[in-house]
Amino acid sequence: MPNRRITDYLNRPPFSGSQDVPQPAPAEQPQPATAPPAEAPGTEDQKKKVLDSITQLGQTNVPQLESNIYCLTIIGQVEGHIQLPPQNKTTKYEHIIPQLVAAEQNSKVEGVLVILNTVGGDVEAGLAIAEMVSSLSKPVVTLVLGGGHSIGVPIAVAGDYSFIAETATMTIHPIRLTGLVIGVPQTFEYLDKMQDRVVSFIARHSKISEEKFRELMLRTGELTRDIGTNVIGADAVKYGLIDEVGGLGKALKKLNELIEKARSGEKVLQ
Amino acid sequence: MIFYSVVPMEVVFANMEQVEKRELRELPLGEATMVVEPTGPYEGRIVRLISPNPQDYLNPRLAPGETVRFRPDWHA
Repeated sequence: MPNRRITDYLNRPPFSGSQDVPQPAPAEQPQPATAPPAEAPGTEDQKKKVLDSITQLGQTNVPQLESNIYCLTIIGQVEGHIQLPPQNKTTKYEHIIPQLVAAEQNSKVEGVLVILNTVGGDVEAGLAIAEMVSSLSKPVVTLVLGGGHSIGVPIAVAGDYSFIAETATMTIHPIRLTGLVIGVPQTFEYLDKMQDRVVSFIARHSKISEEKFRELMLRTGELTRDIGTNVIGADAVKYGLIDEVGGLGKALKKLNELIEKARSGEKVLQ
Repeated sequence: MIFYSVVPMEVVFANMEQVEKRELRELPLGEATMVVEPTGPYEGRIVRLISPNPQDYLNPRLAPGETVRFRPDWHA
């Protein structure tokens, strides 16, 4: 076996060229015959090698606890089509979306808890996440901690039930192009249309009406140098944007209730 | 892209040139591909995961920011 391997190497290009001239000709003939079976285990080996070589660094193993809840955190900027510079903390939508697919598909996951602390970001990416969350068949509870601003608002209302921490805040402000003077009415209409997508999604998924939300969005005198409103904890509940003021305990309790409900619903169906 | 955030655009998009300078490598892992930013010899940080299997995205070892070590690629 080892002998054969050495001769194999000698027959390969770097050596075969420097060897006697008549030798490569007969050596080339058996090569195509042996090549295909040799290649198949080769790719298998390669896969195994890569799997083996992935090593986790600098982390101790946390005892594995089987959880029936999938926790999704949306922090910093919601990153969409443009990769943001490294000073931003971002939530990449191309990762969130397959995670939601996996949570929906995985039979061990019975409920999803979405924790938000975001400053906003890409409209398309934010709406994509919000739509994915709202279309999950499993119970979803959202919890706004710290902040759920701008495009965080539709994500916060996308679940079956929403919570906001007492001190958490949500900034509702118009969509605009910073520093750009709107020259043609079409630009304004375009932005208005984009804004409509966000506003109608929020109105459909929470108790706030479209008119009320627009009023909050265009209110003056609340934010410095800007129009809009900053709603804090109880205010968000008062406007009907969020269902309840509460923290982690309440959110998990509600999620477990919804899971129980979903389970008993399944039993009735069966 | 429409940017909708409370953080000013000039703050978010500062240092944009650093993103463009980054050299990324794609490493195959079974049916998945990891986009890795090299941090040292045969070592890198996962930037993005591309996989047709959604369960891969639930694997904390493959999450962005995780460090991976790989063996030199003999075939290249």
